[in-house]
Amino acid sequence: MIDFELTEDQKAVCEMVRDFTANEVAPLARSQDTAGELDSALMDAIWQLEIVQSQCEPDGRSAFLAGLVLEELAAGDASVATAVASTMAYCLAITDHGTSDQRQALQESLKAPGFQALSLAVMEPSFGFSIGGLKTEAVASGAGFRLQGAKSMVPLASRCRSFLVVARYQEGEAAFIVPADAAGVLVREPCQTVGLRPLELSEVVFDNVGIPQGAMLGGSNGSNIQSIIDASRTAQACIMTGLSAAVLNHVVPYVKERIVHGTPLAQKQSVAFRVADIRIDTEAMRWMNWRSAWEIETGQNPTRLSALSYSFAGEKTMKIADEGLQMFGGHGFVQEHPLEMWYRNARAISVLEGVAGI
Amino acid sequence: MVDFSLTETDKKLIDLVREENEIGRAFARELDRTMEIEPSRLRGVHPAVADREDPFELLEGVHEETSGLVIAEALMFMASAQDVELRDVGGHEAFGSMVLRNFGTDVQKEKYGHLNLAIGITEPDAGSDPGAMRSYARYDQETDEYVLNGEKIFISFFNKFDGAVALVKVAGKDGSRPEFGTFVLVKGAPGLIESPQMRKLGVRKHELSGFVMQDLRVPAVARLDADFGKTLSNFNHNRPIVSAVALASCRSLLDFTRDKLKAAGVELDYTQGTSGRSALVDRFIRLESLWEASWGTVMRAKWLEHKQGMYSNGYRTEASIAKAMGAKAARDITQGCLEILGPESLSEEYLAEKWFRDVRIADIYEGAGEIQRVLIARDIFGYKKELS
Ligand SMILES: Cc1cc2nc3c(=O)[nH]c(=O)nc-3n(C[C@H](O)[C@H](O)[C@H](O)COP(=O)(O)OP(=O)(O)OC[C@H]3O[C@@H](n4cnc5c(N)ncnc54)[C@H](O)[C@@H]3O)c2cc1C
Repeated sequence: MIDFELTEDQKAVCEMVRDFTANEVAPLARSQDTAGELDSALMDAIWQLEIVQSQCEPDGRSAFLAGLVLEELAAGDASVATAVASTMAYCLAITDHGTSDQRQALQESLKAPGFQALSLAVMEPSFGFSIGGLKTEAVASGAGFRLQGAKSMVPLASRCRSFLVVARYQEGEAAFIVPADAAGVLVREPCQTVGLRPLELSEVVFDNVGIPQGAMLGGSNGSNIQSIIDASRTAQACIMTGLSAAVLNHVVPYVKERIVHGTPLAQKQSVAFRVADIRIDTEAMRWMNWRSAWEIETGQNPTRLSALSYSFAGEKTMKIADEGLQMFGGHGFVQEHPLEMWYRNARAISVLEGVAGI
Repeated sequence: MVDFSLTETDKKLIDLVREENEIGRAFARELDRTMEIEPSRLRGVHPAVADREDPFELLEGVHEETSGLVIAEALMFMASAQDVELRDVGGHEAFGSMVLRNFGTDVQKEKYGHLNLAIGITEPDAGSDPGAMRSYARYDQETDEYVLNGEKIFISFFNKFDGAVALVKVAGKDGSRPEFGTFVLVKGAPGLIESPQMRKLGVRKHELSGFVMQDLRVPAVARLDADFGKTLSNFNHNRPIVSAVALASCRSLLDFTRDKLKAAGVELDYTQGTSGRSALVDRFIRLESLWEASWGTVMRAKWLEHKQGMYSNGYRTEASIAKAMGAKAARDITQGCLEILGPESLSEEYLAEKWFRDVRIADIYEGAGEIQRVLIARDIFGYKKELS
């Protein structure tokens, strides 16, 4: 039965995260972007909200709620939201698909007092990278596997204690839990990216890394890698919606106040209509994400809708950040406003794959 | 709790509509070619569906088992392209009759309630801007009648219906400013002159004509207690429906395109990223995403309506969003599908080109896309006349 009403609990969580975002996250977005580094006190404070931890408990697991939270966080800073989503992707992949040993091992990280950087390693360093054409490969070797290849754009790679590496295996794909300090793992220096700079995206090389038997996600039966990608696409779409909402909220008061040729920008149709379009597209994105997340939560096959949400959000968010910047003119191009940062972040979050999860 | 599942009854109703639309397909081309020349609109029920349950009639009876009356109705409108009307649903489309039902007195309902009435607002010089209307009514105290002069154009189904509810300006008493007034006009009255049917791009099953009022005299009782706002008060309800109807044709065209691509050996693979799929597939997926995005905005508006009541103004911006989003998506989806399908899609052997023409109206009537954007922007900025 079609219903758009959030539960009281969901509303309360959203409100809590919204307040937190406005007071704690948004004010630090610019300084983190400049430093190219997350604020560790902020990340610890987010960790203490137990967003990730509660999702890993059986009665706390809700892909839908996770999506709501990511949108709220991203309205403050898409980088912070993606950092949280990255750790969440790792933890949820293990929670949802892991063996009991793998889930047990995860508990240690979840109990830590401060933020734990953990990441999927999906993308690879080649232009025109496509998720269907992975080159990193795992082969059975002795009692375990050997992993060979390179992954790129891994969030917070140099801070991660462990990666979940998606690689070709036999006829399909599998994911492997690989500690960062395993022999043959080389985490390169962060590559300094155009957007989402605080994520310190970097390349990780796996040079003939030996992996024990128990490190394949889900054990010998493997796991549904596509569902991890689906969840990432929907999660990224939620982050994009938060970013789009931030643009809308920032643009509205400005265009009402900014007088050009004698009248406020907002009274000029070409501006007003584009603001209307930002609202239309942001709402359309949100409901589509809700539906994808609902499909994930209710155990339906979310592949198609996740791909559509990701595609729609990606196209529109880039456009929204672009139009928002344009409405600020030169003031949008310089760093006194967040538009130029959002413009960079919009491009980044919409071309990455596998950096988030719900 | 947020839920996107359909109830069994929702599904049943959608299936019924889809089956009926499928039956209608057989007559679609003929109607498309002849309708505007020969007003041959069906009266009664077409034999092809005579022994079938009328889905919309059924809805009235079972709406408690649906996601909600207006939600299920929108889902039904979105089911698939409705190329022909196999049932005479006059009452359903008679927006003038709806105004009468909502705002007429018992006496007025008694007098006019049995009529199917069109809605007459648009004029040659006043479409999006009703303030520019020139049609005028003057009260004649001696006969207790109003005398109307003016012209209405683009009036849906006027040729088929019994008359219209017309919105005109009424001379204020003793030279005060004119106000809007609404009158029931019944065909056959001297001075009410019907204009010929108009030829148009698409939705040719949807007949369009108009009328001239030349010293048309109507009794005072023909004036309804409905001002401008009241007359247009079902806009919030209708706008997402306009979107839904266009999306229905888009859905049929997307299905058609998907099938033809498949037959041509093009597989749609949703697991791939942008760079892992052909430009053709990527284009198609983007069009599909527009459809799904629009679906969400229609459902959202209808859900709010379901909660707040049809005449609430509390969902007007969401109704405008659904209209603006779906109507623009319909333009993009149909243009895009024909481009993907290529030259063969131009043939009248298929309905693809018809759907491409049909949906174009959605971004024009019931408030063109630009008007929706004015309304949405006003809501965002807290503006009234500052933006027009
Ligand atoms: C098939 C069909 C059925 C119809 N049925 C009915 C009916 O039953 N009853 C009835 O009364 N009318 C009906 N109409 C009329 C319809 O509502 C009008 O065509 C519509 O309101 C637009 O008015 P217009 O055609 O005069 O265009 P205009 O108002 O001249 O608009 C032309 C263009 O300018 C844009 N524009 C207008 N104002 C602004 C603005 N302020 N800012 C920016 N852009 C603006 C419009 O969006 C449009 O793109 C029907 C029309 C059609 C084609």
